[in-house]
Amino acid sequence: MATAELNKGELLRGTHKPVNWGRIALYAVLTLVSLLMVVPFVWMILTSLKTPAEIASPDAGLLPAHWEFSNYVEAFKAAPFATYARNSFIIAMSHTLINVVVASMAGYALARIKFRGSDLIFYCFVGALMIPTYTKVLPEFLIVRFMPLAGGNDLFGQGGSGWLDTWWALIVPGAVTPFAVFLFRQFYLDLPVELEEAARLDGLGEFRIYAQIMTPQVKPALTTVALLTFESSWNNFLWPLLVTHTDSLRVIQVGLSVFKTENGTQWHYLMAGTTLATLPMVVLFLIGQRYFVQGFATAGLK
Amino acid sequence: MVAPALLHAALWIGLPVVASVALAFTKYDVLSAPQFIGLDNFREMLDDAVFRKSIWNTVVYTFFTVPVGMLLGLLLAMALHTGLKARGIFRTAVFLPQVTATVAIALVWLWIYNPGNGLFNSVLSIFGIHGPAWLLSTSWSMPSVILVGIWQGIGMKMLIYLAALQSLPKELYEAASVDGASRVRQFFSLTLPLLKPATFFVLITSMINAFQSFDQIYVLTDGGPANSTTMMTFEIYKSAFREFRVGYACAQSLVLFALLLAFTLVNRRMMGGTRGHS
Repeated sequence: MATAELNKGELLRGTHKPVNWGRIALYAVLTLVSLLMVVPFVWMILTSLKTPAEIASPDAGLLPAHWEFSNYVEAFKAAPFATYARNSFIIAMSHTLINVVVASMAGYALARIKFRGSDLIFYCFVGALMIPTYTKVLPEFLIVRFMPLAGGNDLFGQGGSGWLDTWWALIVPGAVTPFAVFLFRQFYLDLPVELEEAARLDGLGEFRIYAQIMTPQVKPALTTVALLTFESSWNNFLWPLLVTHTDSLRVIQVGLSVFKTENGTQWHYLMAGTTLATLPMVVLFLIGQRYFVQGFATAGLK
Repeated sequence: MVAPALLHAALWIGLPVVASVALAFTKYDVLSAPQFIGLDNFREMLDDAVFRKSIWNTVVYTFFTVPVGMLLGLLLAMALHTGLKARGIFRTAVFLPQVTATVAIALVWLWIYNPGNGLFNSVLSIFGIHGPAWLLSTSWSMPSVILVGIWQGIGMKMLIYLAALQSLPKELYEAASVDGASRVRQFFSLTLPLLKPATFFVLITSMINAFQSFDQIYVLTDGGPANSTTMMTFEIYKSAFREFRVGYACAQSLVLFALLLAFTLVNRRMMGGTRGHS
């Protein structure tokens, strides 16, 4: 019978109903570590639901005595967090769309089309991957500031403020990442030649081969690049901090840091805003975990 | 088809790098034209005590966040590699801080470190300990910032190690067991050498990230108190956007680049030189 077989199996492995202390200890340690990782998030949400009096009181418990969900409504009145989140969303969406289209085109061309200088161009992208943000961010700011014929600038970029405080500055410079080009190229390289040759025999042009034949084959790469681009764009802080000053163009991360400076003690509102800034990424991560894992394991860079 | 991406990279990466190098030899305040001053910026850096302090802080921060995080990440990866049932949940929990914005995370920790009613001091007061004003104390500020760095970075390190562990050939371990090698022995003479490429990758990427930490400093301490947590990135930001000395800031950014490059090359030599033995 089944039980007999099971016992036989246990005997063979020499584990006859053992209390596996090692495994229990492992679970205990891992649970503790996971708790340590999650506690700050829990603390953030709990704080966002407390009254200021309770936050200030040293005797209050960890859980809110009364769950103040209205804090969220109030926080949205105290600062335009909804506008900030909307701005972040618009920028992250634009970055994602542009990066997926432009980088996949480049990755395809570098992987599948033989042309003069293609190797050199590939090495340029690899080199660009290694340039630290801080080596390029200052001149990037200057290019935005002196963008010719924009924001009152003349042909030589003088006289106005260029792209500063515009959507252009928030979207264009960070729209295409060398990492995405690199990742797409790897994926296109792995596709079989037959696919391409068949399409060529059917008389399809290069662009249609890219768009209709090859790109549907690299859907995991599309998802990975899309998710990682959206995430890093939503989480970006330095660049929007440098190029925007008006409240209406602020992104959520900058909005939060400004709110902290101006209303440093209103922890319940600040944590409500922080929850708003955190939640979309947590949800996105839980949905697309497989792709995030794949992408991060390739990139290693945040 | 490669043209749009190439043009974009040329304008927003290529040109800025060239411009950074050129501007590093000038005095430039954005309002008037840059003025060539030779090596003056670099000479001034030698006497700039705050910038020297920031280099030291960056190294200290990296030295503690990267190796400690790597060790913890490796241990966690090995714990998760044992085929536990709830593995997915643990992995998600540990990785969560990695997908969250550093600004948001720093704000939460700012509140945790709050001297009055923050989580840390509230918990400590249960045991009758009166906790310090973590981020406002020159001796506690750096350890506090490092703790946040380790906490946020563990997930990535664990993930890369986990992926590497899963790709190790099982046959080798079976052979080692047959030969009577103990688990500890297997770890040191099989697993660690086989993980060398992963270790190199984690080390380089973590170091590059740690060297460029900025958001958490901006939110948590603003480089203070008394410059105890200022980093190279923060000094670059200050020089350019608070003092409007763009030429000097570019020179500082070149030093950052050079240090990163040097560390990467040294690591590659150290790790690459022994790869043949594994």
